[in-house]
Amino acid sequence: MSNKEKESIQLLQGTLDLIVLRTLATMGAQHAYQIATRLQQISDRLLNLNQGTLYPALVRLEQYEWIKGTWGRTESNREAKYYEITKAGQKALKEETQGWRRMSALVERVLLEES
Amino acid sequence: MKHLRRVLLRLYLLFADSKVEAELAREIGAHLVLLEDEYLRQGMTPEDARRAARLAYGGVEQAKQRHRDERTFQGLSQIPQDVRYTLRQLRNSPGFTVTAILVLALGIGATTAIFSIVEGVLLRPLPFPDPDRLVILGDVREGSHCASCTHSSVTAPDIRNYMRDTESFSHLGGYRQRLFELSGAGEPAAVNATRMSGEVFAALGVPPVLGRKFTQQDDEEGQQVAVLSYGMWRSRFHGDANVLGSKILLYRKPYTVIGVMPRNFEFPLNPGNVNQSELWLPLSLQPEEFTAGSAASGNSRMVGRLKPGITAERAQSDAERVAQETMRDYPAYMRSLRIHAVATPLQEDTVGQARPLVRTLLLAVIVVLLIACANLAGLLLVRAIRRRREIAVRLALGARTATLLRHAIVDSMVLSIAGGAIGLALAALALRVGVSLLPQTLPRVNEIGLDWPVMLFALGLALLTGFLCGLAPAFAAIRTSVNESLKEGGRTGTSGSGHARLRSALVVAEIAVALTLLTASGLLLRSFEKMRDVKLGFRPDNTLAALYVLPQQRYATQSAIDEFTRTLLNDVGHLPGVDAIGITSFLPAAGNNWGIGFTIEGYVSPKGAGLNMAAMSLVESDPFEALGIRVLRGRVFTESDNAGSQLVAIVNRKMAERHWPGQDPIGKRLRRGMPETSTPWMTVVGEVDDVTLESRDAETMPQVYQPVTQTVASEGVFASPGELSAADGWIVLRSRMAPEGMQGTLRATVRKIDPQLPLYQMQTMEHAISKSEAPRRFNTVLISSFAIAAVLLSVLGIYAVIAFSVALREQEMAVRMALGGQRSEVILLILSSGAKLAAVGCGLGLLGAVAASRLLRSFLFEVSPFDPGVLSLSAIAMLLLALAASALPARRASSTDPMLALRGE
Repeated sequence: MSNKEKESIQLLQGTLDLIVLRTLATMGAQHAYQIATRLQQISDRLLNLNQGTLYPALVRLEQYEWIKGTWGRTESNREAKYYEITKAGQKALKEETQGWRRMSALVERVLLEES
Repeated sequence: MKHLRRVLLRLYLLFADSKVEAELAREIGAHLVLLEDEYLRQGMTPEDARRAARLAYGGVEQAKQRHRDERTFQGLSQIPQDVRYTLRQLRNSPGFTVTAILVLALGIGATTAIFSIVEGVLLRPLPFPDPDRLVILGDVREGSHCASCTHSSVTAPDIRNYMRDTESFSHLGGYRQRLFELSGAGEPAAVNATRMSGEVFAALGVPPVLGRKFTQQDDEEGQQVAVLSYGMWRSRFHGDANVLGSKILLYRKPYTVIGVMPRNFEFPLNPGNVNQSELWLPLSLQPEEFTAGSAASGNSRMVGRLKPGITAERAQSDAERVAQETMRDYPAYMRSLRIHAVATPLQEDTVGQARPLVRTLLLAVIVVLLIACANLAGLLLVRAIRRRREIAVRLALGARTATLLRHAIVDSMVLSIAGGAIGLALAALALRVGVSLLPQTLPRVNEIGLDWPVMLFALGLALLTGFLCGLAPAFAAIRTSVNESLKEGGRTGTSGSGHARLRSALVVAEIAVALTLLTASGLLLRSFEKMRDVKLGFRPDNTLAALYVLPQQRYATQSAIDEFTRTLLNDVGHLPGVDAIGITSFLPAAGNNWGIGFTIEGYVSPKGAGLNMAAMSLVESDPFEALGIRVLRGRVFTESDNAGSQLVAIVNRKMAERHWPGQDPIGKRLRRGMPETSTPWMTVVGEVDDVTLESRDAETMPQVYQPVTQTVASEGVFASPGELSAADGWIVLRSRMAPEGMQGTLRATVRKIDPQLPLYQMQTMEHAISKSEAPRRFNTVLISSFAIAAVLLSVLGIYAVIAFSVALREQEMAVRMALGGQRSEVILLILSSGAKLAAVGCGLGLLGAVAASRLLRSFLFEVSPFDPGVLSLSAIAMLLLALAASALPARRASSTDPMLALRGE
């Protein structure tokens, strides 16, 4: 694992869950590959991540019962595990989003005052 | 909530992981296929697409591992494997395994057994609802210094006043426990019964299993009803539910059984397990209990339940107000008596006295356990050093330090849990045998046992020991330097020295604590010896004693009582083999004495000294001869000292020395009560030896003897109208044959005089003494056996360390011998290394003994906690044992074959 990747993961530790939830909430059921692609798109390749990095986040969210995985077929008729956000997940997303906003506003303010 | 679910899931997945693992593989496979498809679409060759897909995904195995780490507790999932590995290793060295497990089993077993006492006696709440709201209320009389006055007590007027005038209690009542003669249900027998206010049942709040309890109203109406204990109901009434309404005779007066209390109901909570109340009767105070002497004798206690929000302190100041009023109402002859109200939580009142003993035992046993731990840690450490190469190889092959740590801890945990399980069995065994050996000074002994808290304690102890013992080898393992260990090759050399300091520290600590315990045991043994040296003041051999109490129903007049006594003395006195007989109101060494205040002619007590208390015994015939009490001056009582003649008394040496130092006490005068009390003078006609009243290590009390026939006359205004004397007493007889053989004859003789009269507590005086010594014997034996265990363990520890270092230095020894070293030099070398450890340990141990002195002081008798003899003897013994333990390895070292030096490599 490269140092750069380590950094990225550390950065993501708290936010990856939020991003996954958000992605599933706006785009509906997605499989891991789709989520990873989406992550790369929105991060504008700022985050240089292996797609496998996503898996621990997925199993964590599944154990919280915030998302639910079911096997399905892609358009190209390949099998894939589709993840869907649950009701508890919707609620958690709302709370986590608020928390994140508060936190980032706070950090923003601190940074402003210090500069 | 979500966290809890996740923790449970992760734990669950430790056991059911294969399905999830398969699904993960399938998901990753699908993911890779999708990636591949994408790259193919971009125009790559199939081979390139595969490679690109793998690259984009990242390491598959790493992703899987991270997934596993996330979904379950990875570290834990390795433990079963570690345990299997440990078990395999333990099987390979059965000697080590058995030693380690036994050492731990003994340590944990002993600690668990002692903890069960701590738990049952001190920690468990009393068996009443809201027990912390229950308090004992009573008076402490200023200036009363007798041993039996440490507990507060109350008189009949006190009970009435406190019940009527205090405002802090929702329920408050008085009680007193007495022996009663029980007949009308099986053999006549003596039973322990408690007379108590109906309010006491209300305060305690325990419902009966059968029938009902009596109420305050029953009490005040003087209802003759009785509530049975569970044990009494089972043994005497065969658990018959129809017992309600049946009649029993107590001192030949009929009482109706109205209820049965549950099995675990016990009140009063007396020390020991032989004095428990078997019956409860209404207190129903009689008018004569409010007059004269009875009104002044504090022979009852009170228990109450505090009103919500009221503290024991507030209740005490409330009661103090009542006590002040009580004092104001004292008759003129009690004017100088000062009392204070004391409210003590029932829990404290019950267990307070036992606390120092129990705590000391717990500390001692924990010391033994610590030594056992240090020993095991030492053994594990030695093993870890032996396996250094294996550990180095594992490290070189990429084992993480965390794995090594976990391994070392699991290793010792397996041992300690096995030890704990065996220890628990040992504790169960010890308790089964041991509870009956507990001293009768310990309260709540029936609640001692292996229950859940104790089991949990044992388990926790096993885990904790395992963890602590594992630390040393774990520490050794992670400090293993791969390079060094592998470079050393087959030669063991002296490289173990890295951990030598740790091993030495363990042994030094062991020796230090063992020595602390050894000195404690030495001091206790010395105290026991000193106690044995105390003169009893009487000759216990060939002496038999038994108590009788004449029921008032049958012996209602003084002449009836006197008739009984005369016949008894005559019939028993003429039995073959009986040398002397007497009757006394107290039995030496039985602890049933009571003290009263005296006024001595011409003696002004120093200010603030309060009452001149002395133990009073009323005697008839010649108990001095029967008990072998030496007469120092003057004479004993004769038949002519009777109700009509001049009042006489005999004092003991202590009394004479206190009040008439350097003078002949014969002819001096004293009287009962305080100076303002009008009682007649008694003339001292004799002085006798000090007699042990309670136990030999208790302080000797001033004692006064009086002919029982003169009791009423000497009481003056204290005497209640129609008071009877001599209705009870201890028969003491000295025989030419073994006193055990006299028991049947004595019983038969008494039965001939009154077939219904039982004899209580028949015992030889030797038995009475042995019973009075039991508490001291108990703690001496227990602490000494702990000390022996500790010393043995630490000697084992020092042996192990020296033997191991000798084994490590075999090569060095061979070289020394090859170069012409003398055997004696080698022996000296090894011995001195052992002696050094022992010396440091002994130094620390003596400091420990000094630190422990404060705790120990209360258990010592006429021995200073710094007794130089005991301290130096223990230290020398410890040093010698340590030297002996090093001698064996030293001998082995000295017989090293010099050829080894050449052959080694």
